Amino acid sequence: MISSDVIRGYNDTMILYMLLDGESYGYEISKNIRKLSEEKYIMKETTLYSAFARLEKNGYIDSFYLDETFGKRRTYYRITPLGLAYYRAKCEEWQVTQEVINQFIKEL
Amino acid sequence: MDTIIGYLNNMFASLPGTEQMMKLKQELLGNMEEKYYELKSEGKSENEAVGIVISEFGNIDELISELGLEEAHKDPGQRLPMLDEFVVEDFIAAKRRSGLLTGLGTFLIMLGASLLIFSTGLAENGFMDSVFSEDAMTMLGLVALFLLLVPAIAIFMYSGRKMEKFKYLESAEFTLPYPLEAYIEQRQSAFAATYTLSLIMGVCLCVLSPVIIFVATAFGDEYSSYGAAVLLDVVAVAVFLFVYYGSIRGAYQILLKSGDVSGK
Repeated sequence: MISSDVIRGYNDTMILYMLLDGESYGYEISKNIRKLSEEKYIMKETTLYSAFARLEKNGYIDSFYLDETFGKRRTYYRITPLGLAYYRAKCEEWQVTQEVINQFIKEL
Repeated sequence: MDTIIGYLNNMFASLPGTEQMMKLKQELLGNMEEKYYELKSEGKSENEAVGIVISEFGNIDELISELGLEEAHKDPGQRLPMLDEFVVEDFIAAKRRSGLLTGLGTFLIMLGASLLIFSTGLAENGFMDSVFSEDAMTMLGLVALFLLLVPAIAIFMYSGRKMEKFKYLESAEFTLPYPLEAYIEQRQSAFAATYTLSLIMGVCLCVLSPVIIFVATAFGDEYSSYGAAVLLDVVAVAVFLFVYYGSIRGAYQILLKSGDVSGK
């Protein structure tokens, strides 16, 4: 399990990635993140929902209700064009970050 | 699953019961529920499933800071008193009682007025001439009015005093924990039908009451004052319904108003 401190700056990026292929809802997103990270990273509920609140406030995602079977109501999220631009910027940032950090990493 | 609901309730207990909070809590509950059932279907035991779900909940402070609730959450000086179920039950019962008393007091006053009209009518028609003079009849009516006025005023003062300790509720200086708010909302919607019925009955009585005068007048002009007296009684019943049920409804409205106020 990765410590959440290290990954903090990229929680939003991970969520946006999960929305690239279309709308999704809380549990599905967190489940997919866990799967994609091969169970190495589990996003906590509060982290996920803080991120939703932040992303929505910044206009990177928007939310809407969708009624499920049995009358259950879920909030779905989808990425906005602004969110997509932000995602690209974060990807570039990560490239640079990775290059920089890699300079200081070596096998001993 | 009850453990999870209880855990979540606890986490949200000290947060304002705003609509936004309720939605967020519902969302979190939905997620946790789905996770729980999935873990169960993977063959995890009840304890394991609950343990995993709760351990993956995270830290409520993270949400609080993201939603900008720190001030409400951390500054106890600024915080309004939190109501518990005893105060709420107390308040609803007190409002019901005060509605009953105020309604009764108003009813008594209107009854007194109706007695006055009635006795004046009797006197004018000379029905009681063998027993009392016309002036004496009017006096008797006035005496009846005042005899009813005194207990009515006493009732008003008494019920006013009883409600004094709830003054802070009337000015909405309190917060409600979410489960209690949901409970009150439930009670309120259960009461809505009763209230509507009482309203319909009261309005019908008011609308129909002039009919009494028409009927009385049909028997002869001298009966019209009796009709007026009965009309007043009927209206008095309607007013009682309005006051009594209105007071109960007011209790719910005052309690639930806190939602918008504490939500700022």
